[in-house]
Amino acid sequence: MAGMSSKRLQKELAKIQGTLPPGISLVSADNLREWQMDLTVPDNPIYPPNEPYRLRFQFSPNYPIEAPECVFLALPNPERKVPIHPHIYSNGIICLDLLDAQGWSPVHNVESICISLQSMLASNTKAERPPGDAEFVATNRRRPRDINFLYHDPSV
Amino acid sequence: MAAYQAEQLKEKGNTAFRNGEYQEAENLYTQAIQKHSRNPLIFTNRANVRLKLQKNNDAVNDCLNSIEISGPKGQNHKAFYFLAQAQLALHHPHEALSSALTAYEQVLHPQPAAKISPKDLETFSSFVLKCKKAKFIARDRERLRRQGDLRAELEDALECQKQHDLEHVADQLQSCQLGNVEASERHQEILTNYETKISEIRAVFAAADPSNHKPREVPDHLIDMITFEPMHDPVITKNGHSYERATISEHLKRSPTDPLTRDPLTINDLRPNLGLKAACDEFWQSGASEWIGEW
Repeated sequence: MAGMSSKRLQKELAKIQGTLPPGISLVSADNLREWQMDLTVPDNPIYPPNEPYRLRFQFSPNYPIEAPECVFLALPNPERKVPIHPHIYSNGIICLDLLDAQGWSPVHNVESICISLQSMLASNTKAERPPGDAEFVATNRRRPRDINFLYHDPSV
Repeated sequence: MAAYQAEQLKEKGNTAFRNGEYQEAENLYTQAIQKHSRNPLIFTNRANVRLKLQKNNDAVNDCLNSIEISGPKGQNHKAFYFLAQAQLALHHPHEALSSALTAYEQVLHPQPAAKISPKDLETFSSFVLKCKKAKFIARDRERLRRQGDLRAELEDALECQKQHDLEHVADQLQSCQLGNVEASERHQEILTNYETKISEIRAVFAAADPSNHKPREVPDHLIDMITFEPMHDPVITKNGHSYERATISEHLKRSPTDPLTRDPLTINDLRPNLGLKAACDEFWQSGASEWIGEW
């Protein structure tokens, strides 16, 4: 029901506009159904500490029962790159269990997703893309939530 | 024969309703009732269209007729739901809450043959919450009024103005000076306008007299972790966490796991949390306005 998601989003937004953990900031939420956040990664030489990454969240009317769609954006101005990571495709699609239908739980929220992604980047040791990145990026026409990723490598 | 003709007219009315031809739908339902007045569904359908036409008093009568036909123990959750909507629109939050709770109970414990749509529990549950909030606000304003409070007086005046403006829109809608879309836009505009003014007044009073008017937060343990709303029918999981029944049920239909631990969990594992429900009731009874800022 639409009512549920907009109430909840308004409350999350009010909280986010108050305080956020270091390195996470709200860029825009003019449209309640689509927010953008910037994320920086502390203490990892792979990611320069002054280089923020742009995340886009899109919410369905069934949020938070359904997961939001969350991807990294590549932008020209201000320049934003898609961070290099073995679970992030170069088109910005993220392979993270908590973002897909099985792994999602309605007690997660935008802030907790950002924290998970920040720690996923902070603990990364491999400056590489997922296997088959070029082919996936060239052929994928599906939306992120319709893709069945294989979580074959929980160590990364 | 009459029942058959009435059924035909009702079907035509439903089609008109789906096409947004509300006046036409209302006429067709009225003709159906003239043919055969013992079918509770025709009354509930007419109540629904009358809600759209903002004829709230007529909608109340239709619901009461429908409920009378289906009997005091009969399943008629839609009639109770429409009744609650009309009563809330007419600014009777106490009656609205009691109707909404009946609708909610009937969906929670339906009779065997009842037709319940999968979204009903969630819809009715959030409507119960809406009525509780309205009642809460009304009670709070009553408390302030007894203290001879200026804020209550100002809010009352705005409330009167709002009702007056809404009635004006309803009149224009019924006399066809306004279409459905314009009327609902105007309706929404009046409500938004009212809410903005109320929150401005509250902000001023909070700044001037923080001890009496400053917003407080609803205690965390009364908040559902999924909707972030205060609960009214909390249930507890095997792991000891509590959620609003309708929202956790909606989650479990999609994914039978505990939201926090991911352990297997089904709707049948949920138990009412009576202690927490008492705490929620106490909160709803408290009638202290300070929380309204949160809503």
